[in-house]
Formats: sequence, C-alpha cells, structure tokens
Amino acid sequence: MIHDAQMDYYGTRLATCSSDRSVKIFDVRNGGQILIADLRGHEGPVWQVAWAHPMYGNILASCSYDRKVIVWKEENGTWEKTYEYTGHDSSVNSVCWAPHDYGLILACGSSDGAISLLSYTGDGQWEVKKISNAHTIGCNAVSWAPAVVPGSLIEQPSGQKPNYIKRFASGGCDNLVKIWKEEDGQWKEEQKLEAHSDWVRDVAWAPSIGLPTSTIASCSQDGRVFIWTCDDASGNSWSPKLLHKFNDVVWHVSWSITANILAVSGGDNKVTATSDHYTRFAMFLEPDEN
Amino acid sequence: MEELDAEPPLMVVPGADPVARQLCFAWGPAEVLVCETLFGRRGTGEGGPSASRVFVVRKDQDIYIQTLRKLFNESHGIFIGLQRSEEELVGKSRKAQLVQVSKNYRSVIRACMEDMHQAACKFVSILSAMELIWNLCEILFVEAAAAGPLLLRLLDWVRLHVCDVDNMVREVLSSENPSKHKLFWNLGNTQTLTEMELKWQHWHEECQRYLQDGTFASNSHMESICKILLGDEDAILEKKELMTTWYHFLVTRLLYSHPTVKPMELRFYAQSSMDLFLGGESSPEPLDTILMAAFEFEMHQVIKECSIALSNWWFVAHLTDLLDHCKLLQSHNLYFGSNMREFLLLEYASGLFSHHSLWQLGVDYFDHCPEYGRVYLELHIERIPLNTEQKALKVLRICEQRQMHEQVRSICKIMAMKALRNNRLGSALSWSIRAKDAAFATLISDRFLKDYCERGCFSDLDLIDNLGPSMLLSDRLTFLGKYREFHRLYGEKRFSEAAKLLLMLMTAHIAPCSFWMTLLTDALPLLEQKEVVFSAEQTYELMRCLEDLTAGKSDKQKFQVDDVETMKVEMLRLALARNLARVIVKEGTLEGS
Repeated sequence: MIHDAQMDYYGTRLATCSSDRSVKIFDVRNGGQILIADLRGHEGPVWQVAWAHPMYGNILASCSYDRKVIVWKEENGTWEKTYEYTGHDSSVNSVCWAPHDYGLILACGSSDGAISLLSYTGDGQWEVKKISNAHTIGCNAVSWAPAVVPGSLIEQPSGQKPNYIKRFASGGCDNLVKIWKEEDGQWKEEQKLEAHSDWVRDVAWAPSIGLPTSTIASCSQDGRVFIWTCDDASGNSWSPKLLHKFNDVVWHVSWSITANILAVSGGDNKVTATSDHYTRFAMFLEPDEN
Repeated sequence: MEELDAEPPLMVVPGADPVARQLCFAWGPAEVLVCETLFGRRGTGEGGPSASRVFVVRKDQDIYIQTLRKLFNESHGIFIGLQRSEEELVGKSRKAQLVQVSKNYRSVIRACMEDMHQAACKFVSILSAMELIWNLCEILFVEAAAAGPLLLRLLDWVRLHVCDVDNMVREVLSSENPSKHKLFWNLGNTQTLTEMELKWQHWHEECQRYLQDGTFASNSHMESICKILLGDEDAILEKKELMTTWYHFLVTRLLYSHPTVKPMELRFYAQSSMDLFLGGESSPEPLDTILMAAFEFEMHQVIKECSIALSNWWFVAHLTDLLDHCKLLQSHNLYFGSNMREFLLLEYASGLFSHHSLWQLGVDYFDHCPEYGRVYLELHIERIPLNTEQKALKVLRICEQRQMHEQVRSICKIMAMKALRNNRLGSALSWSIRAKDAAFATLISDRFLKDYCERGCFSDLDLIDNLGPSMLLSDRLTFLGKYREFHRLYGEKRFSEAAKLLLMLMTAHIAPCSFWMTLLTDALPLLEQKEVVFSAEQTYELMRCLEDLTAGKSDKQKFQVDDVETMKVEMLRLALARNLARVIVKEGTLEGS
C-alpha cells in the first residue's frame, strides 16, 4: 500500500513510500517507470517522502511509524542513508523541506505532538531544534512558507545571507492550524488558526506569486477545506474561507507550482482540482467502477 | 470563490482498482501523480491488498501532438509581431493591420489542417471548428464589418466552410434575371448602402410581381426559386437538406430577405434561424452556442464557451489577445485582479513549459504579461530539467537577460553540485564562481588541493590560472589561485618572486595550517638552489613557521610519531640552517658594494 508518491523538482524522478517499509525511487522520463532504488531502513510503514532542492544534490527524506526520520542521499550513482533522526517518541507523520534559500532544513511533525527541525550544518552534521507540545495529541502535517526577503530585494553581496523571516504552518489533532516563526534562533508560535471541528489532516502553504497576501489551505477529518489568507501589510490577521465541505474525511491538499490550482483528495475516492480564477476547471478523478 | 456554473468533467483514471481504493496525489511540475491508497493510519497500517499503483495524469496532452507544434511555433511569431506592432497607427490603418494579423492566425490554422488531413488525424475537425469560429470573430469583431459588406463577408464565411453551399447560388444564377442579380453582386465598391437598398427593393418588388402574376405558375420549380429569392422562410426551409447548418440557413435567409442587415440585428435572425432550423429536434452543440454568442456580440461569452469546449488554451489565449489589441475587451476582474487576456496567456504559456523545447516559446508569452508574467516565469523556469550544459546555459541566458538573479544563482548551484557529483572539479568550480557561492567554492578548492597532494599535479590548470578577481570569492579559492601562481613562477624560474609568494602565503595566513607542511616542503628546492633565494629575514620567517608548525603538532600528536614527517622536518631544519649560513655570508660580503 503506497502512502505517498512525490515527483522530484523536474518531474524526472518519482519517490514512493509504502506500508511494506520501503522507499522506492523510479526514473519516469518519457513516460517510463524504471526502478532505480529500493531503500530499506524503516521498521514500520513509511508515511511520507519529500525531495530536497536539487542544488543540494539528490536528497530524499522519509518518515515512518517507526518514529524515525531518514535522510537519503545519492552518491556516485547509489542511494544511501546519510542521516537518521530518532528523537521522536511516536510515529512521525509528515516531513517538509524548507525553501532552499534557508539552507538544508527539514521540518518533521509527529504523533508525540512535537515538531522537530533538522538543519544540515556541514560535514555530515545535523543540528536539531525541537518544538515540544506543538499540538496536543499529535501533529499531522507541516508546510513551509515561501521565502520572502523582507525589505529591499537588491542583490546581496556574496557570502552574506539575507535576513529571512522563517515561517511554517502545522496542522494537528487539536483541530488547529498553527503558524510558527523563528525569532533569535528560537521557534515561537505566532498564530493559532481555529475553524476545524476535527483533526487537521493536511496543511499547504501556497507558493508566492508576488502578491502582498499569504495563503494557506487546510483540510480535516471534518470534511472541510479552508483557505486562509493574510494581508501581509496588516501583519497578523488570518481569515478563513470555506472552500467546500466534502462528505468524507479530506486527507490531502496541495498547490500547483504557480498556486493557481489547489488539489484535494479525500475519502470519497476523488481528487478534486479547483481553480479560483475563472469559474470552471474542476477535474474529478475517480477510480474505474467495475 | 466563484460558483461553478457547469458540472466539471469527470475524468476516470483508467485501470484504477475499483471499490476498495482511494486516491492520493501529488503535484509534479506539469502533471498530477495519482496513486491508489487507503487513508486511515491505524496502528501499523497493515491490511488491504499489498500492491498499489501510481498513475501520471497530464492536463496538456496536446503539446505532444506533432502537428500541433507547428501551430504553436508559427502562432508564436504572429503573437510577438502583434505585441511589437505599431501602436501609433490609428483608425483604418490600425484596423487593417489587425485584420491582417487575424488572417495570419487563420492561415496557420488552415496550414495545420492541411497537414493533419494528410496524416488523417482526428484533430482536423477541431481545427476546422476553431477556424470557423475565429473567422466569424474576425468579421464581427476585428473587422467590425458594417451593414452591406457584412453580408458579403458572411457569405464568404459560409462558402468557405460548407461543402455544398453553392447549390442555392447556382440555382439563383441560372434563373431568368441574371442581370438583376449581377447588379446585386456588384455592390459594395461603387454604391452606398442606401443606393444598394433602393436597387434591392426595386428588384425585390419586381420578383414579387412576377410571383403574384403567376408568371411561374406552370413551373413549380421556378416558383419555389422565386419564393426563395423573395426570402420566404418556408420555401428556404424546404431545401433544408441542401444546407448543412443553421448558420448556413441564416446567411441564406439574410441574403434573400435582409441583405443590408446591420451587425446589431444579427442576433435576432441568428436566434430564429437556429430555432427554425433545428426545429426542436436536436439541441445546440457547443459549437452552436459559441457561434450564437458571437452573433450576439457577447465576446466574453464566446471566450468562456471556447475555454470550456476546447482542450487547450491556444485558441482562447491568442484570440483574446487579438481582441484586446482591438481595444474591445473591458477589464474583467478576476480573483487576483488580473485581466482575462493575461490570465489566458499565463495558462497557455504555463502549459508550454511541460514540453522539452516548446518552453522557449512560453518565455516570450510571459514577457508580455505585465502583472504576473515575471513571477510565473521565475517559478516555471526553475523547473526545467537541466539535462545538458547547453540547456543550462540557454536557461541562464534567459534569466540573466531579465535580471532574475535568484534563479541564476540557483541554477548555477545546481550545475555546480551536478558537476561535483560527477567529479568534474573544473566545471564545478566555474559554476560555483558564477553562482557566487563562497561555501561551495571553498569545498571544491579543498578537493583540488587534496587532489594535488595525492597526485602531485593540478587538474584544470586553465581555469585556475585565469581566475582573476573571482579568486577573492573565498579564502580557500584565493589560496588555490596563489598556490598555482607559485608553481608557475617556479616553472618560469622566477625563484625570488616564487619565494616571496610562498612565504607570504604562510605569513599572511592565506594558506590553511593543514597545508603548511606541503608549502615548507615546496620551499626545499628553493633553499637548495645554487643561488641563494631566500634572504636572511625570509629564512628567519620560514624557521619561525616551521617551529610554529612543529610546536603545535607535538602537543597533540605525541604518540603519532611519523617517521616520514620527522625526516622531513629534519631535512627542512638542515636546509634552513644551511641557507641562513650562506645568506649571512652573502649579505655580509655584498654590503656596501
């Protein structure tokens, strides 16, 4: 049973993870599906995979019921485990790489209620920061905000890192969507978004198209999908808009790369793609009935 | 969120397992991955069938049809020409220019139809419909034909698209009064509308008289022709099988009853023609709805219906752009305030990016979208697979031309990483210099130095010799450059310069400590030259460096006495002492002379 499938940055490779504890990588160029690697290392079903930005090489993260997060890397044509994090007390449900501008940073959400942030510091070393009790009962999803440099956008002199304000969103079993912000090297809860009446299953922060608004999509056990928007000028007020109420649990939401289409999948056997712009454009996919 | 006004099309994933499966998905850059799964993570997640499959769903399959590529390529040229065309032209000359552009688009469509016809491709009928719609839009909107010429244009339009349209016309011409008909056909050039109307009225009345007088009573065939000429709807409808479509019927009707029809009157005739022709037997098809919207001059409706009916954005994007240039479109506010023209162009161009070479066309389209073109380009261009160096350079050039610095840096970093993974150090270094990535440059310089220590020579000398100011990107890189310079000076037998440089590398702390032993070892041949190279002061400096090095080592590596290392140190001490002796003598002797 495949739990997650993700294309890499260019759509040339596919990573899948499964309840058989494996993570598989396929070459999918020209419509083919050639197995490149079968990665073993987890001791339980693997819930999610995430590709890092190609500037760091071919790197894949996976998280599993076995409480582990594994980072895999391709070296000299072979895939190997490059880092393993075992600091969670319970199933790790979600992994998400930060925007490449911040470096190589991975956020992980776990059923133990904590969110861990793993940062690569060089020479095979990783630094860990943990947000304990991020969500009571458990955290189900994490999603990073796009990188936006505050103030001017003049090219920075080489070697100097611009002052990014790092943020990400998380969804949990406390029915909440939370926004976290890094301040002086510490992660703080910046916002609490309440609208769902049951566990939040997935959150997705929309890519930026240069507008002065931020957008987050969230979906829940309660069948609802909300779109949260914040006018950056005013700072911190997020307002939800109900996109739709489905008849069953909604498990997954995801934005296309230019954020013009939001795809939603749920227990009702459908994947819905909706575009907010010009009416139309919903594409329902349904398994073939016999 | 706007309400959907039509039930969205259901797309069944072929081969997906029925009944027990659910679908999860992920976005690729241009497609959606769908895979069978079962949500609900209880415990170990066991249970259910073990195998599940992944499907790739693509939206813009049209990209991959060979003959359509010609359409995309050629229309791209027309599009760019239009964007850059003379805005200063006004009135008639501007209109003529726009009509020409419209005709050019249509000829591209026809050319593709030709090719497809040869290849017996199913797309022919779609292209034919597209050309039909475009042609009508050209007549009604771009050219905005006035009463009089309007009907002629419509006649041409119908004639062009319907096979056996001329049956009726042939019958007319073979009738009793050809001269009168000739009069009719010659209108437009020399006559004003009123003159033409008068003449037509006169002729119409004459025909009516003939009919009423019973002139044709003996010949029912001629009688029906006369009735048709008089615009008798029933008579025309009797010949329904000769006309393939309601718009053919419409134009025929107009020809015989209202040849001087005004553009704004068309909608009434169009509606009634469609009703009469279809007669409640069949309901309108999408094509009919679109044409009707055009006759009603509802431009937005035409675009909307076309967007729904057609499988790709090509048609609506280009047509809307042209209509926008005709200044016919009111700004139609969408969610993020963009206008319709831009929205459609963005969607079309985004679709092009999923193709390995057509993406280059997409770049130009984004360039002409003032609000979001740039950001869309930034987001899409990063996702182009950089399979070859040439492709990467092409993409880079595009980014550099547009001052997309972030993307340039990102692409260079990706290429540097790729090169490093393939052990092409020179390439990796030049890419990281281009990316201004100091950390990576340091990493690669270390690799170079490591290589040198192991093999005794440098690779990629050309690159290192010509670093120039980019040497300053990172300290390690500077050292690499200068160290290579040292070797060059030595090779050119410029020993005193080489010596000075070597010493400076240590005293100015440009060289990392780990490399000092190597540098001192490099000093040996200089120390043992026939001519004295190092001055007394320089020799003292070298000695100090050596002592610093060994002092540091002895604390940490007491138990790691390396015979070779010890021997080297001894040799150095000896060489330095000898040099010092010689140089003191030399300096003492030459002093004052």
